[in-house]
Amino acid sequence: MALKLNQSEFEIDRDKEKCIACQVCVRQCSNDVHEYDEDEGTVLSDNSRCVGCHRCETLCPTGSIKIKQRGSEFKSNANWSAENMKNIYKQAETGGVILTGMGCDKPYPIYWDHILFNASQVTNPSIDPLREPMEIRTFIGRKPDRLEIKAVKEPGGKTTGFKNNLESQLELSVPVLFSAMSYGSISLNAVKSVAKAASEFGTFYNTGEGGLHKDLRCYKKNTIVQVASGRFGVDKDYLNSGAAVEIKIGQGAKPGIGGHLPGEKVNYDVSTTRMIPEGSDAISPAPHHDIYSIEDLAQLIYALKEATEYKKPVGVKISAVHNVAPIASGIVRAGADFISIDGFRGGTGAAPQVIRDNVGIPIELALASVDIRLREEGIRHKVSLIVAGSIRSSADVIKAIALGADAVYIGTAALIALGCHLCQKCYTSKCNWGIATQDPYLTKRLNPEIGARRLLNLLNAWSHEIKEMLGGAGINAIESLRGNREHLRGVGLSEKELSILGIKHAGEAW
Amino acid sequence: MENKFKSGKTENNIFDYVIIGNSAAGLSAVSSIRMADKKGSILVLTHEESLNYSKPLITYYLAGKIKSDDMYFKDKDFYEENKVLLKSGMNILKIDYENKAVITDTNAGFIYGKLLLANGGIPIIPKIEISDSNRSSASPKNEIKDIPGIFTFTNLQDARKIKDYIAGNDVKEVLILGGGLIGLKSAEAFLDLGIKVRIIELSDRILSASFDKQASAIIEDELEKKGSRIYTQNTINKIFVKNGRFDGIELKSGEKINSSLLIMAIGVIPDLSIIKNSDSSTGKDESGHIKSNRGILVDEHMQTSIKDIYAAGDVTESFNSVTGNKASIAIWPLAVRQGDIAGANMAGGNKVYDGGYFMNSVEILHIPTISIGVTNVSGDMEEGIEIIKEYKPEKKYYKKIVIHDNKIIGIILLGNIDRAGIYNGLIRNKVDVSNIKDNLIKEDFGIIQLPSDYKKHLVVGDGIEV
Amino acid sequence: MKKIYIKEEYCIACRLCEIYCQVKHSKSKKILKAFKNETDMLSRVLVEEIGYNSFAIQCRHCEDAPCVEACISGAMQKNKNTGVVTCDEKKCVGCWMCIMTCPYGVIKRNLSEKKVASKCDLCGDEEYPVCVRNCPNEALQFKDI
Repeated sequence: MALKLNQSEFEIDRDKEKCIACQVCVRQCSNDVHEYDEDEGTVLSDNSRCVGCHRCETLCPTGSIKIKQRGSEFKSNANWSAENMKNIYKQAETGGVILTGMGCDKPYPIYWDHILFNASQVTNPSIDPLREPMEIRTFIGRKPDRLEIKAVKEPGGKTTGFKNNLESQLELSVPVLFSAMSYGSISLNAVKSVAKAASEFGTFYNTGEGGLHKDLRCYKKNTIVQVASGRFGVDKDYLNSGAAVEIKIGQGAKPGIGGHLPGEKVNYDVSTTRMIPEGSDAISPAPHHDIYSIEDLAQLIYALKEATEYKKPVGVKISAVHNVAPIASGIVRAGADFISIDGFRGGTGAAPQVIRDNVGIPIELALASVDIRLREEGIRHKVSLIVAGSIRSSADVIKAIALGADAVYIGTAALIALGCHLCQKCYTSKCNWGIATQDPYLTKRLNPEIGARRLLNLLNAWSHEIKEMLGGAGINAIESLRGNREHLRGVGLSEKELSILGIKHAGEAW
Repeated sequence: MENKFKSGKTENNIFDYVIIGNSAAGLSAVSSIRMADKKGSILVLTHEESLNYSKPLITYYLAGKIKSDDMYFKDKDFYEENKVLLKSGMNILKIDYENKAVITDTNAGFIYGKLLLANGGIPIIPKIEISDSNRSSASPKNEIKDIPGIFTFTNLQDARKIKDYIAGNDVKEVLILGGGLIGLKSAEAFLDLGIKVRIIELSDRILSASFDKQASAIIEDELEKKGSRIYTQNTINKIFVKNGRFDGIELKSGEKINSSLLIMAIGVIPDLSIIKNSDSSTGKDESGHIKSNRGILVDEHMQTSIKDIYAAGDVTESFNSVTGNKASIAIWPLAVRQGDIAGANMAGGNKVYDGGYFMNSVEILHIPTISIGVTNVSGDMEEGIEIIKEYKPEKKYYKKIVIHDNKIIGIILLGNIDRAGIYNGLIRNKVDVSNIKDNLIKEDFGIIQLPSDYKKHLVVGDGIEV
Repeated sequence: MKKIYIKEEYCIACRLCEIYCQVKHSKSKKILKAFKNETDMLSRVLVEEIGYNSFAIQCRHCEDAPCVEACISGAMQKNKNTGVVTCDEKKCVGCWMCIMTCPYGVIKRNLSEKKVASKCDLCGDEEYPVCVRNCPNEALQFKDI
């Protein structure tokens, strides 16, 4: 066999004083990093297999393990990074496309970290969210051009009620939803945690391309069902099992290509839910093969509205690409009730690394340009905008809303709440946290009761923080913040960036 | 029935409950009577010492591993806490069925509302020819057990006598007639005291009731290594007496052995003396007697053939749930269980005894052993029987599982007794093991391999009905 | 009375319950000292494992406990108030009748000093038994019957 240029990325620091050779690390590592030597009575570790998921470190009862990112070092080279070189070694050995998981980790600018929020001083006093009511409820759906309220009269002329011309809406108790993460890319326990948390908190989760597993039917009031290019799991029952339908055109992590679920993760359950053969790779085509123009999209949107009797919002998910603004405009005119825009930092279970790291644009810029464009065309009210692509904290949520979003989707953040350590090896199905795997030995590790509890805690915490920040800015309703760019200032951004975002630079007053 | 019982003093001889026997069955009955009846008067009669003690511990006492004060299994407050009057030193002669009274050998009488016979078993004394070298002795001793140096070994008094005898005589070697449980446990005690042991057993192996040849071989080997000699398929033909004390034996095989100490441990049988005396003095025909066979016969409520008289423990003969027959199974857990059921029913309850079967755990010379149920299968019993075993004599390890009609009916474990109770549960509940036969013999056999509905019943926490 | 219940579907066979049980019943009661110095620690909870199925099991503190019935020395008793079944090591003579009758097989031979039977005692003085508290996936629960 030819030489394998295999390097460890991580080093396991085991404190010999504290290691009691209890072998919990040996049992818990799905990558077989640790091994117990019976004769010596000690545990040895093979650094080359470590993916840096921290499972062993977390479970070690004496805290004797520390994972360090300390591979063998190349001569320093500002141009050729270690990663560039290792990728070439891998491809020279295998001839394959390099896959990876989760979101783009390259040092492109993060605009959230260059935007600052406002606070009240002197005039327009701040509001204490613990003493005054704060409205952060959000409604996703098409808003009419003009609100009309008609009285409903019975034959005798007496008014029995009122009717308005609002179309179906989704009511969220906080402007945060759970992103599309398919059952298949993540385990059933992970989806159950998300669904349970969404249902208990009063928000929604998205099925992604995975179809709807029968154990999740009880959460239908909080489910957004997705219709992707592979049409996995899509039938009439499926469409009517959700509170809304989302047509997936693109995904932020891999714009332009379809979904990818490696065969290792397609077990019996996944195959029945998605209605595909067991063990085969589930690759969704890049386009929907019945959508080749905006008119085709309009046709599909209205077909779905017919199938769901116009009782549910139908939306479209697109990746943030260069011409996202005119695309969004077209989608609004095609009849969508909401548009989900997924920025290039969005996560995935599996994607070719070159596409994940080089295709798409930041969500902040996409959001701002779409919002401004739709307002200029006078059609902003016709859709709700949901943005995704690395919303990492409640501050990002606030800034997104100020830039024009109605709500945000969280994907990576939710998985991190469940235990994900972003080792980016989701495509191997060896997730030690029981999240991105179908191996029954590993999926047991994610107890949906604990998972749901953690997600609820996260939503609770973020809700409070959002209310604090709103209160601090003197606002008591999230609607007052939507698209209100006056509450944002850029810092360290160029003129062009400021103008695309539509915000002033810090220091400029109004 | 009027109760004039006052704690400490009693002029009264009328009791709601009278229990003959101060051991496992009797005291278990006291506890279960008190669960249902806090007020009724209870009298416990025993011919032994006043404080209760656990009979199985007498060999530990002999070896010096436990003091007689520490042998109690119900603590000293038990009688006071349960308002029980205990009379020791009472030899019960017979029962007056008509007048519902028990009569002692000093003609004292106690009237009962309900009576429990829990007086246990007595050792079997073999008939052996005695050859006395002093033929001119004035009063030839006919009773073997009266010969100094010859003892049975079934109660604390025996243990004390043996201990005193050893202390007073220079005993270097002891002969034990009987390779059963008592014989072996006493052999172990003697070895601990530094006394050599010779065991004489009629069958072809020691512990013949519970072990098969292979299991016995491991123990025999160990005994021999520790300085015992074992004579199988042999017995004593003659006992030699010299100067009024035990001097030696002649075996059936012809060999003569000198010794100053002989322990007779060939078995126990239920003590039926009380009912035999009662039956013969009642003047009634058989229908008025307490029915017995080898032991007192009881129904599933532990009641004898005479109303208001119950029996429990080693003195009874009751249903063996593994063989389907009636048998006298003299083991501690069954005595406790039967006493509990008898007591509950005497106090007006309706508990049912669903049968028992032989089981025993004994560690001999550091080899833990457990045998349960039917462990020896032979002859016409062999139809429908399947035996799975693993035999590693060099590791002193043996595992044998006897299966009949896809249900385990017996098991022998030597060396590794971990999780033995799981097999016991499978025997007791007559669980069909056809799907898990391959797993039964494994070293890591556990609940996880059990049929799933039985396992769920155990694991989820309902607890198993016992 | 509160008892320990097992949720089989959440047991990940990490055996942390066994480790903490050993420490709790060790002499030093500190994990590093116990594991470095003591060689005869015994866990009273047992994790059974086949393939990816596993669960931890320990004494059920049964109502009509077979071990109490079988104990020849009176060492094994069920406390009338707390309901906990404990083995008094001073009285135990190591006859193993309890091991023979326990249908769960959760009593072990403790040969460290005197031969005694060892089993779960619900960690008497703790608010939660240590196995329950340290299970990383909440597969062991301590609750009323």
